[in-house]
Formats: sequence, C-alpha cells, structure tokens
Amino acid sequence: MREVAPRSSLASAGGGLGAIGEKALQWLVKLLPGVALLIFWQWASGRLIKEIYVSKPTAVVARLYELFSSGEIYPHLWITGQELVLGYVIGVAGGVLAGYSLGRSSRLARIFEPYVMAFYGIPKIALAPLFIIWFGIGIGSKVALASIMVFFLVFYNVFAGVRSVDRELVNLTLIMGANQRQLTYHVFLPAAAPFVMLGMRLAIPYSVIGVIVGEFTSSVQGLGLFIHEASSTYDPAGVFAGIVILLGFVTVANLIAGAIERRLLRWRTLSGSGPIDA
Amino acid sequence: MDDRVLLFDGIGQDFPSPGQRSQIRVLDGISFEAARGKFIAVIGPSGCGKSTLLQMAAGLLLPTRGAVHHRGRKVTSINTEVGFVPQQAQLLPWKTLGENVELPLVLRGVPAQERQKRVDDVLRSVGLTGFEQHFPSQLSGGMQKRGSIARTLVYRPDVILMDEPFGALDAQTRMVMQSDLQTLSMEAGATVIFVTHDITEAVLLADNVVVLSQRPSRLLANIPIDLSRPRNMFEPFKNPGFAAAYDAVWTEFRSQLQAGQIH
Ligand SMILES: Nc1ncnc2c1ncn2[C@@H]1O[C@H](COP(=O)(O)OP(=O)(O)OP(=O)(O)O)[C@@H](O)[C@H]1O
Ligand SMILES: [Mg+2]
Repeated sequence: MREVAPRSSLASAGGGLGAIGEKALQWLVKLLPGVALLIFWQWASGRLIKEIYVSKPTAVVARLYELFSSGEIYPHLWITGQELVLGYVIGVAGGVLAGYSLGRSSRLARIFEPYVMAFYGIPKIALAPLFIIWFGIGIGSKVALASIMVFFLVFYNVFAGVRSVDRELVNLTLIMGANQRQLTYHVFLPAAAPFVMLGMRLAIPYSVIGVIVGEFTSSVQGLGLFIHEASSTYDPAGVFAGIVILLGFVTVANLIAGAIERRLLRWRTLSGSGPIDA
Repeated sequence: MDDRVLLFDGIGQDFPSPGQRSQIRVLDGISFEAARGKFIAVIGPSGCGKSTLLQMAAGLLLPTRGAVHHRGRKVTSINTEVGFVPQQAQLLPWKTLGENVELPLVLRGVPAQERQKRVDDVLRSVGLTGFEQHFPSQLSGGMQKRGSIARTLVYRPDVILMDEPFGALDAQTRMVMQSDLQTLSMEAGATVIFVTHDITEAVLLADNVVVLSQRPSRLLANIPIDLSRPRNMFEPFKNPGFAAAYDAVWTEFRSQLQAGQIH
C-alpha cells in the first residue's frame, strides 16, 4: 500500500551519441528552409526581379561588413539599443506593477479597468507624431512609444494571470498561516510568473516596432533612421542590412527571455503541462 | 477544561440568490460539537451546505446567524489553528512535494532544522518518502492526496477539516486512503470534521455521523457509531455492528432522497 521509492525520476535525461545525432539532425531540418530561401533569393535577384528592388544576400553581407568595419553603424546601434532597453524595461516594470496591483485589488480594478481597456484599444503607433511633439526628436519620444506598447501587453497578461489564481489555493495558504507578504511571494508571484513571461516575450517585437516607428517619424540617429535613409537613397542592401541587425536584437532578446523562462518555470517544463512557447 | 474543541452553535446562513432580490436560506439552525480527538462525519444531500459549514470553521465565511467556537473562542477571522484538506489536493504546482509540505512550517516561522525533520517524519507516515523532489504533476492523484494530508498534519492543527477528500479517487485507492486516515488520525489524536456523500465511508471512519437535510438544511440526526477500532475498511460488513450502524444512518438519509430531487 505504500508507494515505493522512485526509480530514476524523470524520463531519463537524454544522453548518449544517438541523442546528440538526433539533436544535430533537428537543427539541420530547422535550418533547411532558411538556407533554401537565401539560395532562392540569391538566384532570383537579377534574374526574376531587378537587383535594385531586392538586393541579394551576398550584397547584404558585404554591406554589413562595410558598416561594421567603417564604424558607420555604431552610433545608430548605440542609440537604438538604448531606446530598446529603456523602453522595454520601463514598459515591463510599469506593466508588472500596474497589472499586479489591479489584479490583487478588486476595488482598484473596478475603477481603473475600463480606462485601461479603452487605452488598450488605441493603436499606439498613431501616437508617434504626438510623442515627438511632447518628448522631442531625441531618444525620449522613442522610449515613450516603445514602453507604452510594451506596458499594455505586459499589463494585460499580468492582470489576467493574477486574476486567474485559484481562490481556494489562496484560502488554503491563509489557513496554513500566511500573511499578505508571504501570500504574494509563495502564491501570487509564482502563479503569475507564466503570464509575466508570456507578456515579456510578446513585448519584445513590440518594443522594436515602437522604437523603429518612432525613428521613422523623426529622429537624429538610430537604426530606424538608417533604414529610412537607405530606402530613400535606393540602397536595398542597406535596408536589409538594417533589418538583419534588428533581427539580431530580437533573437538575442528572445534567447535571454527563453533562458529566464526555463529557469523560472522549471515546474511547468517538467510537468509537461502543455507548451510554454505561446 | 472544556473538552469541546469545536462547537457549531445555531448556525444559519443565507446567500443572495443571483438575479433575485430575496435570499436563499442554506443552513437553518445547525448545532453540533466535536470533542477532543473525535472523528465527526457530516453527510447530507448535495448543495445542503456542508462545504459552507467547513468554511465557517476555517473562518473564511461568517455565518449569518449563530457562531462557530473553537476552544471556547468565537471564530471571526481566518482560523490558522485548523487544517483544511480540500476535495482536490491543491498542492502548489510550482513547489515540489517536499516544499509543499514544508510550506506551513515556513509560514509559521519554524526553524529550518526542525522543518526538515518534521517533513521527513510526516512524509514517512503517509508513505511518500523518496518523492520530495517531485512536482505535484509528477504524482498520481492518490499520492497528491497523501501530500495534501501530510501538508496538514505537519503543523499539527488540533482540528482537521476535510471536504470530501476521497471523492475523486478510485474505489481501491479510496479504501487504502480511508484505512490510512484512520491510523493517522488515531496517532495524531486530532479532531476531524469529515464531509462526505458516502454513508459507508462515514460509518466506517466516524465516532459520530451528523446527518443534514435538504436545503434549507437542518440537523436531522447526530448518530454515535460505537464500532470498535481499528475498523476494517476493506470489508465493511466484517465489522461487528456495522449493519445496524449503517441502517441507523441510512434511515435518516433516505427520508431526504424521497423528500426531494437530487441535485
Ligand atoms: N458564495 C456563495 N454565494 C451564493 N450562494 C452560495 C455561495 N456559496 C454557496 N452557496 C450556495 O449554498 C449552497 C450550499 O453550498 P455548499 O457548497 O456548502 O454545498 P455542499 O453541501 O458542500 O454541496 P456538495 O455536496 O455538492 O459539495 C448551494 O446551494 C450554493 O449554491
Ligand atoms: Mg461541498
């Protein structure tokens, strides 16, 4: 009647050469469509479509090399990087804080939820010109635009996450002797964590959109400006080079978010209770 | 000293009924008590307010009329001196079994060294040694239930409230758990209020069976069960006197099944 001690607990951590080979194969299969696309692009450029419209991979790589070796791109990178990080961090912090407090207090939620929902519906991109007027053409307006886009995404997810915490779980923890602080730490934060992570992940591309649109609208420096100028001087290689750099930003951010998520949500990955990649 | 650990004194409860101006009366003047170390089973038709009674004992809900007294003190706020075992195990999914069972001790500021020992002891007594590192989702339903009971026993509350704890288990697991619960509650000397739908379960486990009526619910009977312990949970009819005790409870319960529809 008593359960016996466990054998090796989880599905045996995949080891051995077979597993490594399988991993490599998986990667190969993943890379294949990308490589095919690049080859097609290279081939089609100048044959099916004029190169002046679409450039070609080798030209883009050459342009990238040139941009980095001459140092021309660094000031743009630096500005855009700052805007992205600041906009993202401010937006996430605000979103988590506001989402959490409104999620925990039904009184606050009753008052503010309609407003937040109304603002949520506004296409934030439309605010870009206004923000330029308010915050100037420097990084302020881009940070504002990015952070407001990030804020709403994170806010909404955290709010829903905190609201979804099972009432019975909360009551049980109170009976076990928890005070409000302990309740936050042991129940609400971990319960909201998957939602926070989801919001943070979704917010990454939005922070990029916010910053780039801001720079398109009006700016003195930044990748958005660089792309804008490249396109208005018929330099498609430059446009694609700028886009590749943005892609790099997003990929690195996603990797970091993924690593944090795996650490924070170990219990979910282990349980196999559905995919966490939303 | 007063031997009555928990006392339900004239409990009445009205709930607002959605979409109507009037209230529905759920509980109507329920009084019974649980003496130290006694096992009280509460049975009654679905929706008669059994869970509501437990919530009152835990201080989660104030009765409209009457009061619950715990060791002479009126329960007016969250009662941290009881333990609560819900129908679903409700372990925190982000904590391992070990951390879950340790949680009440952490919340109560028990020093780390003693926590470890008490967690080990209680996990051994429910037969879960070796599963400390498992997350709840990696445990079977029965094991989660044991974990849930361990989490309550570990801080030694003097009253344990159980709301149909074995309702969701299969028949075999259920009998094993009933047998284990009998042993554990005898060892712990805790007072137990045990809500169930199952007359056999109530008769086998309890010192007293409280039978409630249909809503608005009144106390139909409070029947002492004088079967010797330990009782055989696997073959109920092998316990001398079981048939008569079952009959006594069934007679009261049957009137309710005939009196109205089953929800
Ligand atoms: N917060 C509430 N607001 C309004 N009505 C409620 C509330 N809680 C319970 N009720 C009502 O009180 C009645 C009793 O509920 P309770 O959950 O105590 O029943 P129960 O005896 O535990 O039933 P079951 O055996 O099905 O679990 C039900 O009719 C329910 O609709
Ligand atoms: Mg119930």
